[in-house]
Amino acid sequence: MDEMLLDVQELTHCFRLGRNRVLRAVDGVSFQMRKGEIFGLVGESGSGKSTTAKCVMNILRPTGGKIRYLGVNICDPKQFRAHRELLQTSRQMIFQDSTSSLNPRMTVAEIISEPMSIHHIRPPRGSLRAEAAFQLKCVGMDPGYLDKRPPELSGGQRQRVAIARALSMGPELLVADEPIASLDVSIQAQIINLFKHLQREHGFTFLFIAHDLAVVRYLCDRVGVMFQGKLVELAPAAELFARPLHPYTQALLSAIPIPDPRRERARVIQRFDPAGFSREGVWTEASPGHLVLRKEKDT
Amino acid sequence: MNDQFILVGARTPLPPPAKKEPWYRGKPVVSMAILAAVALGCLCCELFIPKDPAYMDLFHGSEAPNAEFWFGTDTMGRDIFSMIWYGGRVSLLIGFLSTAISTVLAILFGAASGLAPRWLDALLMRLTEIFLSIPSLLLIVLLQSILGKASVVSLSLVIGVTGWTSVAKVVRSEVRQLRSSEYVLASRCMGAGFFHILRRHLAPNFFSSILFMVVMNVRSAIAAESTLSFIGLGLPLEVISWGSMLSLSEKALLSGAWWIILIPGAFLVVTLLCVTEIGNWLRGEGDRRASNL
Repeated sequence: MDEMLLDVQELTHCFRLGRNRVLRAVDGVSFQMRKGEIFGLVGESGSGKSTTAKCVMNILRPTGGKIRYLGVNICDPKQFRAHRELLQTSRQMIFQDSTSSLNPRMTVAEIISEPMSIHHIRPPRGSLRAEAAFQLKCVGMDPGYLDKRPPELSGGQRQRVAIARALSMGPELLVADEPIASLDVSIQAQIINLFKHLQREHGFTFLFIAHDLAVVRYLCDRVGVMFQGKLVELAPAAELFARPLHPYTQALLSAIPIPDPRRERARVIQRFDPAGFSREGVWTEASPGHLVLRKEKDT
Repeated sequence: MNDQFILVGARTPLPPPAKKEPWYRGKPVVSMAILAAVALGCLCCELFIPKDPAYMDLFHGSEAPNAEFWFGTDTMGRDIFSMIWYGGRVSLLIGFLSTAISTVLAILFGAASGLAPRWLDALLMRLTEIFLSIPSLLLIVLLQSILGKASVVSLSLVIGVTGWTSVAKVVRSEVRQLRSSEYVLASRCMGAGFFHILRRHLAPNFFSSILFMVVMNVRSAIAAESTLSFIGLGLPLEVISWGSMLSLSEKALLSGAWWIILIPGAFLVVTLLCVTEIGNWLRGEGDRRASNL
């Protein structure tokens, strides 16, 4: 079970803003993902979650650090080229906005079978169309939608098509960059349950990025909390929600509304002052598997 | 009783559309018909032309239109009616062949430039502008002199190679917009190569915006061929095309033989007008479809 799939070491990515200014979007982030786990990455917007995901998917080239996927250092162009086929078929990504991640001029059948046609894979179910129909059924849609185009579908259906496309290759690692943020709440619940179901069925490893803590608590095995490009806390989901250690995590968790008016009234929202945030912390293991970024003097 | 009972807010159902719109509404039917007739006539000219278009009948030089020679004969005694249809083949062939060449070049160059990193894109576009700033006639003359004796293929190549720049600029700016869309990114993630992205994602999206220019290129290629032939740089006299027929016109003007100029000229102008009309319609159509989306 504890086989390592993804190993991110001291990942750093900087964006250049103009001549002299540099934004450290991701700053020394390290985490590991085991095979078959659901890893959640949470944080406010601009905290570097998406940038991390894009580095993992080779969309952005990191400024520093190492990413090992199945032992392959994917940041090294030479190693990437040598394992291109493996990397491009076994890692798939789901984007936030399904409107723009599906080509409006292609039919659903073409969209779902696109990765197979790119890699010239012979479809196991006879034709590409049959394969697309099967994948569509897997995500809970009727094969009657095969000849529709994305603008004719609803937001939830589009996201399902995007999921079907990502799963059509039987990926080892699925990266989802806020896949539910552009959906309304009832559809969000459907899609989350679909993810949970599919993950149990296929057993892929899942990097799930969200800013909704309730969703992460429900779906994920382990959670990492990011703030201003730093990973501040990393723990199993139950542990993190029970005993948050970093002040930012505590503030984040205290902001979750409680669906009980009496307790809700008693809830105290903790404030977290970004000025007091020290970037030079030390990773300390508070309890087995629970890591937190602490100031030097605390340890 | 029932009359007093009116539902508030209920609307009377919409009346059914009175008459179905005829299929030809808004389409350039006349231009299409004329162009089809000209193209068909040129393609099947063997079936109905009365004379061998290349045969020089020296007893009947420069004859005005009459019962035997319907459109008259030229200075060398060739039957103009036969030559029109036979020569139209060459003109149309050059039009389509050179447009095909220039379109392929434009799409490849424009897409490559649009997908390239910024510095390479700038370099390629500046090159295009340099190319664009040289008068195309000058370039054609230069290329023609390198390629040697003009033939149909070499002439279409020369016209095609000089005519791709403006389409390439349009393709490039469209690609520049499309490349940042997430479906192109997703496709790249899945490992798609340049040609896959071009064929599946880019071309269907920019096709409608270059369609008009492509059709207009057919027109300018036909015009360029006749211009070149008229000034003596194009096809030699023995290869019959509308342009090479017009190249006899200066002599004809002096001798007052109007039919040698007017008839091929009229065919040329009418064909170009039809192509322009169809291109104009396609442009409107493309805009309409884009706004429906």
